[in-house]
Amino acid sequence: MASTVIGAGITIEGEITTEEDIVVAGTVRGKLSAKEAVTIESGATVEADVQSGSLAVAGTLTGNVTAGDRVDLQSGARVVGNVKAARVTIADGAQFKGNVDMDV
Amino acid sequence: MADNTTVIGHAARVRGRLTGEVSVSVHGFVEGEITVEGDVTVESSGIVDATIRGRRLVIRGAVRGDLVGGESVGLAEGARVVGDIRAPRVAIAQGALARGAVEAGGEGEASAVGARSQSAARTAASPASRGAPLPAKVVASSPVVRATAKLEVAAPVPIGPATSSAEAKPSHAPARRPPPPVVPILKKAKGQVLKKKER
Amino acid sequence: MAQARTTNRGSDARIGSTARIRGRIHGDGDLVVEGQVEGAVALRGDLTIAEGAMVSSEGIEATSVTIAGALEGDTLASGAVRLAASARVRGNIRATAIVIDEGARFSGRLDCEFDLPTELGGVSRGEPRGRASTRR
Repeated sequence: MASTVIGAGITIEGEITTEEDIVVAGTVRGKLSAKEAVTIESGATVEADVQSGSLAVAGTLTGNVTAGDRVDLQSGARVVGNVKAARVTIADGAQFKGNVDMDV
Repeated sequence: MADNTTVIGHAARVRGRLTGEVSVSVHGFVEGEITVEGDVTVESSGIVDATIRGRRLVIRGAVRGDLVGGESVGLAEGARVVGDIRAPRVAIAQGALARGAVEAGGEGEASAVGARSQSAARTAASPASRGAPLPAKVVASSPVVRATAKLEVAAPVPIGPATSSAEAKPSHAPARRPPPPVVPILKKAKGQVLKKKER
Repeated sequence: MAQARTTNRGSDARIGSTARIRGRIHGDGDLVVEGQVEGAVALRGDLTIAEGAMVSSEGIEATSVTIAGALEGDTLASGAVRLAASARVRGNIRATAIVIDEGARFSGRLDCEFDLPTELGGVSRGEPRGRASTRR
């Protein structure tokens, strides 16, 4: 269970920082930074730069991503921005536009 | 431990200042000022147009005026208060309604009431009062104290007919229990110290 | 208030104890704040500020508000506001009902809509019952 959950009806405009993980089912605009996993669920909208341990996207993300671990773009994801991570997977059906930097 | 309790009965109307080393239980109407060393209870039928200062205040009726508790202020269900509330402990129960500035916890008027009780204890003729009940002084300023029920200023204790509520037992002078606080969350804590000993 | 623990429901939300948010939070649904929030909160739902949470806000608006942590800022609720014993609140509160548990620290104004009995003036500020003579 994620320790921070932004529910579907909630919008946050600003900066979010957490030491743990976060699930976004609603809308976030601004900056998002988590030490552990960030999950952007289907239907969620994130317009922010994301910094996280890992990132899984099934919704919409516009912004640059810096992940220490892995980034997974799932089917249905729509991502516009640059992604820098150790591992990146883009599933069939995911839309992505941007640079990928897997600096090992 | 018995504070001497003054009862303002259901049909009484009091205009003036009510002071003394007593506790007060208001079932009727009071306009003016209530400043006492003991506890003050405004029962559900009570209507008070006055600032109330006491040690522990329990309000179940209507008050227009500030509530200053040396120890605590509690608004029970049915309370209707317009005025400021200040006490180290403040509790407002479900069904109580209030409007005003509130200072709860930390500060509070403990020092003010304490200072007042010290000066009152010294100036009042109190040394012998350890067992004897002190009369409530109902002091009228310019308006004469009017009471539609019997109101004896010199006599100790009950003013006006007591209602059937258990707390108001007239003419039992010594050792009466102060009205138990109906709001269960208010604990009778260190207030017990400030009983007759202080006089 | 209790329901907010199960945050699997789509519209519920929780700000975890290590999370910090600076900005505006608004929307539909219940929200439990266990971490730190700095900014405005406008919710069509129940807001819970858990013990240990810190909210510093230019204004909080919600259907109901339960405060067990620290809050600095004004609160406006269409329903009830409750301060638990661990609450530390500085700011004004306006709601249909306000409950303060003993032990809570509160400094600010309380504002509930109600009428005093007529012997004490009778008419509340917000509801001009007396003036609505059209009703008679």
